[in-house]
Amino acid sequence: MNAGAAMQEIEVQYFAVLRERAGTARETVSTAATTAAALYDELAARHDFGLPRAMLRVAVNDEFADWSRPLAAGDRVVFIPPVAGG
Amino acid sequence: MRPFDFSSEPLAPERYREALADPAAGGYASFEGWVRDHNEGRRVERLEYEAFEALAVKEGERIVAEAVTRFGVARAACVHRVGALAIGELAVWVGVSAAHRGEAFAACRYIIDEVKHRVPVWKKEHYTDGNSGWVNCERCAAAAHEHEHEHAHTDGGAPGPAHGRPAAPAHDYSRQIALPEVGAAGQARLAAASVLVVGAGGLGVPVLQYLAAAGIGRIGIVDGDVIEASNLHRQPLYGAADVGRPKARVAAERLRALNHDLRVEATEEHASAANIDELVARHDLVVECTDNFRAKFLVNDAVVRAQKPAVFASVHQYDGQLQLYRPLPHWPCLRCLWPEAPRDGLVGNCAEAGVLGPVPATLGALQAMQALKRLLGLDAGEAPALVTMDLLTLETRRLAARRDPACDHERIAGATTPGEAPLELEFETLAQAFESGLELVDIREPWERAVDPPELQIPAHVPLSALVQGRTEFPVEGRYLIICAHGVRSLSLTEHLRSRGQAEVYSLRGGLAALRR
Repeated sequence: MNAGAAMQEIEVQYFAVLRERAGTARETVSTAATTAAALYDELAARHDFGLPRAMLRVAVNDEFADWSRPLAAGDRVVFIPPVAGG
Repeated sequence: MRPFDFSSEPLAPERYREALADPAAGGYASFEGWVRDHNEGRRVERLEYEAFEALAVKEGERIVAEAVTRFGVARAACVHRVGALAIGELAVWVGVSAAHRGEAFAACRYIIDEVKHRVPVWKKEHYTDGNSGWVNCERCAAAAHEHEHEHAHTDGGAPGPAHGRPAAPAHDYSRQIALPEVGAAGQARLAAASVLVVGAGGLGVPVLQYLAAAGIGRIGIVDGDVIEASNLHRQPLYGAADVGRPKARVAAERLRALNHDLRVEATEEHASAANIDELVARHDLVVECTDNFRAKFLVNDAVVRAQKPAVFASVHQYDGQLQLYRPLPHWPCLRCLWPEAPRDGLVGNCAEAGVLGPVPATLGALQAMQALKRLLGLDAGEAPALVTMDLLTLETRRLAARRDPACDHERIAGATTPGEAPLELEFETLAQAFESGLELVDIREPWERAVDPPELQIPAHVPLSALVQGRTEFPVEGRYLIICAHGVRSLSLTEHLRSRGQAEVYSLRGGLAALRR
């Protein structure tokens, strides 16, 4: 984490197996991460997600987004693993 | 003339037309059904129509009266031919006079559609190869038909209700026809539609029930599983007495009993590269209800190839995902969303992860709704999205999705399945598998091994979760038979290892569960 970076609050939601591992469906995180990718890496380390980012999708403000998408304070971020049950 | 009649003489439309003349009528619409020279791929030489007239006339009169009331037309009538007919002859005539053309067309369409569905008329086709067969059997149950025919069921599987039974009332669609967006025309579209449902489990059961009840004309069911006791809590179409019977067959039986209008075709095997394209080609829309990524991507690729709409859904514990695919240039497919085709076992399936019945039921009901909307054209304003639903918090999200420019639909469309050594091997007992010369590897989780030990100890244990999380590696040297509970995770891992160039790995087909059958 960049010590000089400004912290911003992001609303994060977890889906399926990520929710189980995080132990919560949503949380507000204060982070210096500036991209969706950096935010996932930070949270994956904290919650021990164990899922490679390449297997997931991220949506920001209800739209699928690239991992390189910059984040702004107040963004709603959802991490979605693929699901196969039926 | 009578509003509904049978005629053993050739029909005379010009004469019937005069009977509909009315000073208040500004137009007249008619429909003629002709005898054609082919049906379901067979050459037809001539036909015979037979009706149970006392009952059929009553039902026909009811239909014409319904049309007059519903559409406010001046006059309407229908005449159906009986007896022997040659190619090109008139089989049925419908005529409507009305103040305006809209009502005239709608009433005409309503009458012919309803007559086809509700009036007990049997058609015997004589084929050019000298054979013959009775068709339109699905209507038989609507009649109090006392004598037996040599009916040749064209829809396969178990026969429908016995022909000697008392009359079942016609399926009543009035509550959905009452919707202005549906109406008689919408109902006719549903009756003309065919839907393929891949997987008859937790998602597939509500999909099948609601589509059958809604009056979809033809439904294909694909499922190679047999009903297990552990299915019943989330698949209440089946009962305890069905355990051990093929799912597709039992589902087809139940659906036939649910709606006699329905034609249902059961395929008692899993969707595979060998059958999927042909199955998709024979239906207008596909509803994907399986529990594994392998099947989901198989179906995805087939609908992209065939350019057919499809409704996908998946559940994991309390979460569900729903996605509609439409064959439009800007519309994303499953691979657009998940470019790295996920491996089964990564996030568990119902068997391993656990699930409450209403979770797949909710998603399945949504799939049925999406299918009906697509067939009725009610989804015109719907933009591509993945809908996620959390049944614990009842939160639903609609995540706008776009076509991934890197996902090459033309390549998917042109792709054929690579021919190589079989991924799966079948054994009757674990002892036989040991004797195969392959090294057996159990990839189940430690808790699964504890609660369900196989009859012979499998010493090699590499839990899939440890592989996925990178805590261990699958051995590269050697020849392996990979084993899990139901053969889904093992197949996925086998595919993954093959794709990395490891040639001598195989999956135990059906997993340990298959050995116990």
